[in-house]
Amino acid sequence: MKQMTCALALVSAMAATPALAEDITITVWAGGSNDSDHYRIDNIKIAANLLSREAAIRGEELNITVEGKRDFDGWDGFKQAVTLGAEAGNAPNIVVTSHLDIAPWASAGYIVPVEDYVDLDAWPLNNVYSNLMEIAAFDGMQWGVPQDAESRPFFFWKEAMKKLGYTDDDMDAMAARVEAGEYTLRDMLADAKKAVDMGLVEEGYGFYPRVSNGPDYAQFYQSFGGELMDPETGKLVFDRTAMTEMYQFFVDAVEAGVTRKNHIGTEWDQWYSEVASGKAAFWHGGTWHYGRYTGKEGNDDFFGTIGFTLIPAGNEAGRANTITHPLVYLVTDQEDDRAEEIAAQLVAIASEPRLNTLHAIESSHLAIGKAEAALDLYAGDRWASEATEVLLPHANAQPNHPSYGAFSEAMFKGLEAAWTGVQTPEEAVAEVEAQLTATLGDELIIR
Amino acid sequence: MNRQTLLGLGFLSPALLAVVMFFLLPVVLTVVFAFTNMSTSTGILGGEYQISESDLRRLPAAGVREEAVEMLAGADYAVRADTLALFAAEFGDKRAQELEALHGGASFDDRRAMERALKDLRRDPIRSVRERKAAAELFRISILGQRFPTEAAFVEAITALGIPEADQAALTEAAYTGWTFTTQNFELLWELPATWRYALNSALYVVLTLAFNVGFGLFLALSTFYLPTRTAQTFRAIWFLPRILPPVLYVLMWQWLTWDQGFISAILRPFGIEPINWMRHTATHAWTFIVLINGCVGASLGMILFSSSLRAIPETQLFAAQVDGANRWQQVRFVLLPQMRWPILFITSYQTLSLLTSFEYILLATDGGPGRQTEVWALAAYHTALSNYGGNLEYGLGAAYALALVIIGILLSALYLRFFNFRDLVAKPRIEQ
Repeated sequence: MKQMTCALALVSAMAATPALAEDITITVWAGGSNDSDHYRIDNIKIAANLLSREAAIRGEELNITVEGKRDFDGWDGFKQAVTLGAEAGNAPNIVVTSHLDIAPWASAGYIVPVEDYVDLDAWPLNNVYSNLMEIAAFDGMQWGVPQDAESRPFFFWKEAMKKLGYTDDDMDAMAARVEAGEYTLRDMLADAKKAVDMGLVEEGYGFYPRVSNGPDYAQFYQSFGGELMDPETGKLVFDRTAMTEMYQFFVDAVEAGVTRKNHIGTEWDQWYSEVASGKAAFWHGGTWHYGRYTGKEGNDDFFGTIGFTLIPAGNEAGRANTITHPLVYLVTDQEDDRAEEIAAQLVAIASEPRLNTLHAIESSHLAIGKAEAALDLYAGDRWASEATEVLLPHANAQPNHPSYGAFSEAMFKGLEAAWTGVQTPEEAVAEVEAQLTATLGDELIIR
Repeated sequence: MNRQTLLGLGFLSPALLAVVMFFLLPVVLTVVFAFTNMSTSTGILGGEYQISESDLRRLPAAGVREEAVEMLAGADYAVRADTLALFAAEFGDKRAQELEALHGGASFDDRRAMERALKDLRRDPIRSVRERKAAAELFRISILGQRFPTEAAFVEAITALGIPEADQAALTEAAYTGWTFTTQNFELLWELPATWRYALNSALYVVLTLAFNVGFGLFLALSTFYLPTRTAQTFRAIWFLPRILPPVLYVLMWQWLTWDQGFISAILRPFGIEPINWMRHTATHAWTFIVLINGCVGASLGMILFSSSLRAIPETQLFAAQVDGANRWQQVRFVLLPQMRWPILFITSYQTLSLLTSFEYILLATDGGPGRQTEVWALAAYHTALSNYGGNLEYGLGAAYALALVIIGILLSALYLRFFNFRDLVAKPRIEQ
């Protein structure tokens, strides 16, 4: 009898435990992330919870432990950690990184296409803006999913503009005028010069650009009619005229006393505090700057003091534009396919509008999908809604091309040489062209 | 081999191991890497075989004939008799029949379109995403974007596609995603206009910093030599600070000093001098500060070595000179300096070699700016191989830069050893013979 009870107990115990108990650990590494970006990792944790619950309902036991890490020594340190980890066979399962890493990492075999595991036509991925999805695709495959969207606007200090003679209505109409190409970079330069001459801002503070290389400078190349990639052939494009005119623009700004000659390399902290407090008349930045200006820099009246537009066109050939440089979730190549599958599913769930909105609003980024605009949290945030409306429809991205990094570095080094007066714009462009022709060879079209 | 030799080798082995691990191995690896096209894209440990869409246009240049390229291009997925048979075997005849009725003869450009076609099945739909993906793969007729772990698997796949044997070798070579051996890094270095500028910058950097290092180190040693011991030690300790400070903190202090809102600008403002960024205003400003930053670190080492060798000079010689009526300068010039030849030569050669490869203070201070004016050779190697905003690090090219430094370093060492007369230096002192 006792034996039978034991057997019964055993049988019932076995029936109570689901047939498959699966324990899996998913590591997430997020590059370029500070405190307000914690949802890049937390959303994967929430997704893991949801996925476990779904599995439980199907009668499977799936225990997912998510381990996140975002304190890296800058982008360089993060990228080295990921690539060396991948070579050693212990890469994190999910990485949050720049979409520009897709091309080299795909070719090296460090990452697997997320489309191998998730249905792109199903919720929530079918809600993600298709132009953003395209940015996370390369060579006809969907490698990743956009983690956030941002855009890089042009800013102006309203008080300075008022003293230059712009009325409130004029300033409200500025975004539309820039978009239509009626207000160009040359007009801006004239206004900035006036602001310096009138003593509204100090010399060198009329136009106060980004202090280091970044996608921002490709925007100015586009403003002067430059194109980064030829859509037909997928080759990178070096437009001599546009490049020269862009370099010339910065040289003119320095000569007019509107921009400092040694501006590049200014400390970021100094830069943020200066633009947020009205020391500069015009500058450009990113949508996430809103959080910094109103938070750490203590600008309590953002909309009353700062206006924003697209990056104005530079000349007839160019257009007003803005570049979005979304970070993407990528799934890395693992020995165990199951880990890749779970990771891809978590990435898909983390792209749910509600989850992504948490990140977007917390870190002053923009939505990745249409449905987010309908959520209270998103709609109630004036910056997110206005920036989405003014900027996102006109945003393009830098091309996913394995050699784009070399292109971008060379373009910036040339700009720096012209800017600091070491070379004339023509000399700088000629040197960049020579260098890119030698390094990129057939992958470059010169116009 | 007797016991003594063995014991000697035993004692030497940790040092030998260190030399092999931390000197020979890096040098050998640098040489190997310099002759490859290794980058982030190629990976480090080897590659696989893959032809992707963007590869198609590169193939003719790689020696693959047009007709072979055309066979590779075209639709990726097709619903036709052979693929349907595969599908029927795994997912049942009924589903296969329905799919044939719906999409028979159709072809699709990507898997997403194929999956959509599979979603049209109504009678017995494939419900799980995973199964649908597996089903879609059965219809794949192209190898574009597929990765093959071995050459054999790739050759098998292109043979199945009907690629003529004449093109297979070139195609396989083009499909390899890993690194290959090449001399193009050196051709590139030769061609790039920037290379010569970096070389000149390096020469300028080494010569200027070295002159400052040795001169200032010597000055400190001589001036503290004549001070009372305790005072001298205090001064030396202060001048030793730059060396023991963490480089990041040390350079940060220089930044504070030189910002346009920093210390120098603040002091000069009342005198009507416009505030500028003293470190980055022009190339001359940048070089001045780079020499100062590096020089203060280097001078402290010189100071310590020079001081100790000064103390080794018998004091009686100075007394004798004093009795002969020599003043301080004459003592330095005719008594001390002639006996300092070896330490000065040593510091010069040692610092040349270490300056040639050092770049960390430049990286932290100007990062090669303004406009690449302070980009030295070693910093260019670092930027090429380990730092790129766009993500593709060029390990091979960076190693080629580094290899040039290794060669120059070895040549200089040989030269110095000869110049030094190393054998004399390690000879037994004559006085004890």
